[in-house]
Amino acid sequence: MLAEVAQLLVNGIVTGTLLAVPAIGFTAIFAVLRFPNFAIASHCTIGAFAGYVANVTFGVPAAPALAFAFLVAGLFGLLTDEFVLKPMRPYGALTTAIAAIALTVVLENVVRFAFGNDLRGYDLPIFRDWRFWGIRLGPQQVENMALAVSVMAALFLFLKFSRTGKTMRAVADNPTLAAIKGIDADLVGRIVAFVGMGLAGVGGMLLGLDTSIDPLTGFRVVLSVFAAAVVGGLGSIPGAVVGALVVGVAEELSLLVVEPTYRSAVGFLAILIVLTLRPRGLLGEKAY
Amino acid sequence: MNEQEGKTTMIIATHRLSRRSVLAAGAAGAALLAAPAVVRAQAQPIRLGSLTPLTGAGGAYGPRMRDAIAAVVNEVNAAGGVRGRPLQLVTEDDQTSPEAAVRAARKLIDVDRVAAVMGTWASSVTTAVAPLCWENRVSLFTVSGADSITLLPHQGYIFRTQPNSRLQMRTVAKFAVDEGAQRIAWMGPQTPFAQSSIEEFQQVAQAANRPFTSLIYEADKATYRSEVDQILRARPDFIMFGGYTPDSIVLARDLFRAGYQGKVMAPAYAISARMLEALPHEVTQGAMVYEPWPEVASTAYSRLQRLLGSGVEVDPYTAQTYDHANLAVMALAIGGDGNGLAIKDNVRRISQGGGQSVDNAVDGLKAIVAGQKVDYTGASGPCDFTAEGDITGTKFRYQRVDKGAFQVMKIA
Amino acid sequence: MENYLVAIVTFAGIYALLAMGLNVSWGMTGLVNLGMAGFFALGAYASAILTVRTGAWIPLGFGLAAIVAALAGAALMGITRKLRGDYLAIITLGFSEFVRLVAANEIWLTRGSDGISGIPGPWRGELSPAQFNVLFCVIVLVLVAVAYVVCERLRDSPYGRVLRAVREDDTVAAVAGKAVDRYKLQAFAIGAGIMGVAGAAYGHYTSYIAPDIFRPLITIYIFLALTAGGVGNNRGAVVGAFLVMAILEGTRFLWDVVPGLAAVQKAALREIVIGVLLIVVMRLRPEGLLPEPVPKVLDKETTR
Repeated sequence: MLAEVAQLLVNGIVTGTLLAVPAIGFTAIFAVLRFPNFAIASHCTIGAFAGYVANVTFGVPAAPALAFAFLVAGLFGLLTDEFVLKPMRPYGALTTAIAAIALTVVLENVVRFAFGNDLRGYDLPIFRDWRFWGIRLGPQQVENMALAVSVMAALFLFLKFSRTGKTMRAVADNPTLAAIKGIDADLVGRIVAFVGMGLAGVGGMLLGLDTSIDPLTGFRVVLSVFAAAVVGGLGSIPGAVVGALVVGVAEELSLLVVEPTYRSAVGFLAILIVLTLRPRGLLGEKAY
Repeated sequence: MNEQEGKTTMIIATHRLSRRSVLAAGAAGAALLAAPAVVRAQAQPIRLGSLTPLTGAGGAYGPRMRDAIAAVVNEVNAAGGVRGRPLQLVTEDDQTSPEAAVRAARKLIDVDRVAAVMGTWASSVTTAVAPLCWENRVSLFTVSGADSITLLPHQGYIFRTQPNSRLQMRTVAKFAVDEGAQRIAWMGPQTPFAQSSIEEFQQVAQAANRPFTSLIYEADKATYRSEVDQILRARPDFIMFGGYTPDSIVLARDLFRAGYQGKVMAPAYAISARMLEALPHEVTQGAMVYEPWPEVASTAYSRLQRLLGSGVEVDPYTAQTYDHANLAVMALAIGGDGNGLAIKDNVRRISQGGGQSVDNAVDGLKAIVAGQKVDYTGASGPCDFTAEGDITGTKFRYQRVDKGAFQVMKIA
Repeated sequence: MENYLVAIVTFAGIYALLAMGLNVSWGMTGLVNLGMAGFFALGAYASAILTVRTGAWIPLGFGLAAIVAALAGAALMGITRKLRGDYLAIITLGFSEFVRLVAANEIWLTRGSDGISGIPGPWRGELSPAQFNVLFCVIVLVLVAVAYVVCERLRDSPYGRVLRAVREDDTVAAVAGKAVDRYKLQAFAIGAGIMGVAGAAYGHYTSYIAPDIFRPLITIYIFLALTAGGVGNNRGAVVGAFLVMAILEGTRFLWDVVPGLAAVQKAALREIVIGVLLIVVMRLRPEGLLPEPVPKVLDKETTR
């Protein structure tokens, strides 16, 4: 029993870590641009496909392919934000969010138009899991986790120490003050649209590494991504990480008490409980 | 509004836009225009509807299913149509959503006045559009897995080429026992046939004194590690998959990682050629698949493969929709006004009951015009129907994966 | 062709009901309800289960649908009343997926993923399919008209002004002595109830419901409809619903316009066109085709 719980915990942490990457992207965009960008689903898919092209078509190994996924998804994020979402922002966060939903329908089908619906897998070996004290863990998972953690570490360093990172945090925490100080909010908006959606792309590819990809890849994970961001506190980057771990672990532990068919329902319940106790999420809404 | 023959030709010929195909389409279109107006006016086209999932969860199958129908339509048109009347294929996307499918079916039935709707995939889509079809006397051909579909009050308008799921499971469970399975497990998502599959497997396993365990999971998850752990606690040496390809890929990976050494089996639409491509060979090694199959060595199947091109996978659903189109076309040739009623009344006359054996509509049409009785044997089976519209007499082809390729084990 | 047009008007009418329900909670009160598909499903299942199992009179099914959906709405709002809009959006989205999971797995109640077929329609047996089609279209249009009148009344009443005050700033409304939570709860429940009625109408019209119908896609369509039509404006909700239906259906006829593409590419192109058209509408008219009229009398509650 104890080993079983420990195994579920490990599985949950692994899933949660992967989920954290797109959740950070979603929450970062919210922190700066103040609207939930539902187009994140299609950017996950775009990243997964960009990584696939790099990895399978051009034979690039997974880690550099991940960088390519970041670039392509980020570029899509930047351009669509500039031309579709930004003009909507003066009309309210929700109007913008709805436009983002329309956008995600368009982008999903752009991928479908280019690649068709067929399932694709990355060109990667699969290894048997290691076993430690009755708990198993896969080399691939450890690698994916390491990749996710390094992406997150890079992001934290960027926010903490770089000039641009500091301005981003300033805008997120107090846009009015930032404007008075003469920070170019437009530029910061562009950077966050690029980085946020780039992270979504990385997340899409990381999740695709373990499954297979098709135009619906992003849609399959997006509810969990939203859940993670909300549980942690919308707009809080460390919150997204914590939220992703909570959602990942809660879904796994739920298998102890309910049928596996209700896994998502447990994720939903977890959000409900957390938000009832803490209406602003676990870590509140301070960006960093 | 409808697709012209020329366009259809080029669509099945290639998946990408190629200049040659555009030229071919132009040429075909020009030829059509050049034909004397009188001929066109006399030969009222017969319209057929394709309602496969081109987007949504069924999107991995729907496009090829549609192309198989288009291939038949083109062949028949090239050979002069059905008793001189050309066929026109109208394609709609069911979006794997019953709500969208009902609107699409309305358009096919009320605007295009198709004689048949072919290729519905999701059971919920089929059940949603079925009443529209029987109320408007349009024949409905489906590949859906829910056994409840043919129990609807459809007055003979539904033809289901997917074998009864209970019968399939009983057959496959016996196969598992024959293969020496000692401890059997079933894993799949919630579908209309999940519960019945489990019941049938359990009965066969119990009768053979084999322990049995099952697990229904939530579809479309990125990992099933914990579910795999749960099922492996029963130490099975034979696991049956009940889902589609995306889930099966995740399951196969997670079972391999968990160190599972036993056998795995799935329907051929789940462990597909695409899946073998997407996974390293050692993960899929030894996996077994089954699919409905005609009794004799099937010529229809290889013919379809030739029509679609050797690079295109002919999965069980594609084979079935190919049969839908052939059956509908030949039934139209027997008699009637080229409508759904004619198809409903005549399908059994050309699908069963002896006569000249044919494997495609073009040969069948020739024989029918010559006054011969024909008996169609399709790519997915002998295509004999019960009064309720269910398929009978289907055999199954069993294959095993070796080094990333399918090897036929047996047909039985 | 006529049958098709009648059917499309019927479906557009059902969309219009959904959009008006959404307008009560989101447009008037500012409560985002991404769980629309869930309330739509609750209404559809409540009415279908009642009329199929017990053979009850169909209007009773509609009544039950409204009550069940409204109660679920009230309960959900009761739990989440302290949450800000963005959180509510995601909670309600989770709620609709929860409803769908229950519908798919509780086979004893809902017949699971098989769905419930053979749902009765008014005089379906006695009428020809074409006559039934017209009759039901009229029924749905009457429902739309009734819902419209009720929603307009609501909007113009003092009650509606309080809802708008809550939307603009619930703290100010609370300071003005309004029981904000109760108003939110009621508005959300009324909106959910209208969605439930739409669900019942859908089930009795098509005679079949299944969990697959209630995926988030339909919520997306309705949100786009209301945004394109004009958030806060009941006429906008109706116009938007018909616009979205016109776009969804009109794009079917583009199939032959672009030659030389595979079937899957044409299907993808159709959805791209749908999405782009909606984005264009929103870009050209960000406040909707029919923006919310400025209230005639600005009382103290609505001026900030």
